[in-house]
Amino acid sequence: MKRVLAVDDSSSVRQMVNFTLRNAGYEVMEAVDGKDGLAKAGGGKFDLIITDLNMPNVDGIQMIAAVRKLPAYTFVPILMLTTESQAEKKDAGRKAGATGWIVKPFNAEQLITVVQKLVK
Amino acid sequence: MSLTTKTEILSTVDRARDELAAMAVRVDQEVLSAAASFEGLAKHAGTIMNLTAAIIGCVASEDVTSVLAKVQTLGSATKIFIGKQLQATDGILETIATEGKVLGQLSAVAAVQEGIALQIKLLSVLTNVEVARIGIMGTGFQYLAHELASFANSVIEDTQVLANQIQGRRAAIEETRRTLTQELPLLRTELARIEADLGAALAEMEVSLGQLSSVPVQFRDCVQDIARQIAGIVSAIQSNDITRQMNDHVQQSLAFISSRMRGDVDADSGSSQELPLAYAGITIQTRQLRAIDETVGGWTSQIRACTRDIQRVSTSGVLGLGPTVLDQERRLSSQLANIQQLEYKSQAYTGRIQHSLGGLANLAQSVGEHLKRSRSVRDRLRLLAFNSIIEAGQLGSKAGAVLAISNSIKEISATWSGLTEQSGLAMKEVSGLVKRTNAVMEAFSAASTEHLHEAEGQTRKGLDGLRTAADFAARQANGMTAAVEKMQTKVAEVGRTADSLDACFSRSEAVLSELERLKHRLKADHPGERLGYDAGEVERLFSAFYTTELERNVLRAALAGHALPVSQATMAGNSVELF
Repeated sequence: MKRVLAVDDSSSVRQMVNFTLRNAGYEVMEAVDGKDGLAKAGGGKFDLIITDLNMPNVDGIQMIAAVRKLPAYTFVPILMLTTESQAEKKDAGRKAGATGWIVKPFNAEQLITVVQKLVK
Repeated sequence: MSLTTKTEILSTVDRARDELAAMAVRVDQEVLSAAASFEGLAKHAGTIMNLTAAIIGCVASEDVTSVLAKVQTLGSATKIFIGKQLQATDGILETIATEGKVLGQLSAVAAVQEGIALQIKLLSVLTNVEVARIGIMGTGFQYLAHELASFANSVIEDTQVLANQIQGRRAAIEETRRTLTQELPLLRTELARIEADLGAALAEMEVSLGQLSSVPVQFRDCVQDIARQIAGIVSAIQSNDITRQMNDHVQQSLAFISSRMRGDVDADSGSSQELPLAYAGITIQTRQLRAIDETVGGWTSQIRACTRDIQRVSTSGVLGLGPTVLDQERRLSSQLANIQQLEYKSQAYTGRIQHSLGGLANLAQSVGEHLKRSRSVRDRLRLLAFNSIIEAGQLGSKAGAVLAISNSIKEISATWSGLTEQSGLAMKEVSGLVKRTNAVMEAFSAASTEHLHEAEGQTRKGLDGLRTAADFAARQANGMTAAVEKMQTKVAEVGRTADSLDACFSRSEAVLSELERLKHRLKADHPGERLGYDAGEVERLFSAFYTTELERNVLRAALAGHALPVSQATMAGNSVELF
């Protein structure tokens, strides 16, 4: 079973990502912010990371940059899931190593399609 | 600006911020509760869909939809069977009526033959008297007297046997006629009822099986519908995160206004440099709060609508498929039992008719034997008459009386011959009746019911499949009912949470009113240009707090004095961009 790490400071968003992907056959682990996400990514192997941008402690872009430095995550897809939609933010995310950008709220079917496409 | 006003501004702004912070905590708790209830709801909806999918799978694997063709074949076989039985019963009644007439004719013949026997007996006595009178010359006529006596006894015996047989047959056919006359209307009614019931069952089944065949498509639509509603709730619950952030941003903006006001040394002098910024900031925050209000209203009503729809779909006819299949099976099994009952009755009925009509063959045999004897009597009478006339002629006038007896025998012989012909005709009619009866009884034979049995066998096989599906549906029914009940509980829970969320957010109305009042007082205290601000500078300062497109649009609309932008529908979700 493919493993997904969902990083968001909103527990309801984490819950919805978990619910959606679990029902689509993925194993989902949750992290409450960038710092927690980084720790969990380092502690285990995930096939995909979905992260929020604005979070306490370590934000999404900082976390992506740090995760990309981990050898196991060089090619692991990382999706940003955020309310932000500004081009400069997206650009910063892309430069940090994000694979894609989803503006909240996500559509369950679309999320599953994207995840299936990225995690083969 | 007076000191009181500055205190008022700070107090109102700080209170608003605290109130919004408290509200955010409560909203977070309520949304978590809503999400948990929703997960339960989705789980139960999933259970219902899985049970329904299993029933549909069973219906498909048992080839239930082929039952209709089998029952149609059974319907037409039963109709043919019923038609043949009715036609045969009519034929039997006709046969019986004809047999009654033939028996009448035979009875008349037998009566005449009995009369002739008595005449012959009398002639035998007269012959003996004449033999005694003419003495030795009449010895040859003693044989004639003996033969006549013997004929008379034999004919009397024979006609009595026939008369008894006729009497017995009359009683038997009367019994058959009475039975058939009584039972035929009942049989007709019963057969008509079975035919009508079967027709109605077929019509119902056609509709139901038509529905069954469309169920997979309808089910797929239901699955898609529920998936859409679940996606709608998933989007709506996420929207809480957006409003939470918007709420945080309003709090941060209010903190910024408060900080700027506190740091302004001139604030107390009434010529505060920060007053226009505070005024503009409060205006923006009231707009942001209104946008939050609308967004929240949108997603709580979306949660309600989606849960209602999930409930509606989950209790729809398609998902109530189990009882439909069960009902079909029960109705058809009852029809099959009716047809079998009809067959049992028909077997008993056939037995009685066969027993009754079996006597006709015995009658034919008796009439045949009687005819044979009658022909023998006719031939011998002819011979006796011929011989006695010759012999009497040789004796001349002495045997005048014997000649008269011989002539009488000749006449009787002619009459007997006529009666024998009548018996022969009656025999032909009886033989014809036996043939007709055999043909009629063909309708009650095993060969005739073979087609019906074959159709019954096929239908029974089809019903076995339907029963398997129905049993399966029945076993799933309890699980389905329990899941629907649990789901309804969860729907109510989600509804209550949505109510609580509405109540939480109604506190933002109070904050909004307070900020609006402050804004109006500021405007009233500082008429003219004193509250004027640099829109570009204000946008630069406040845009740092806003992260969503909606907030930025609200900021721009507030500064330009435009109406609030329409909040984006959350159901469809937002775009996905892959780098």
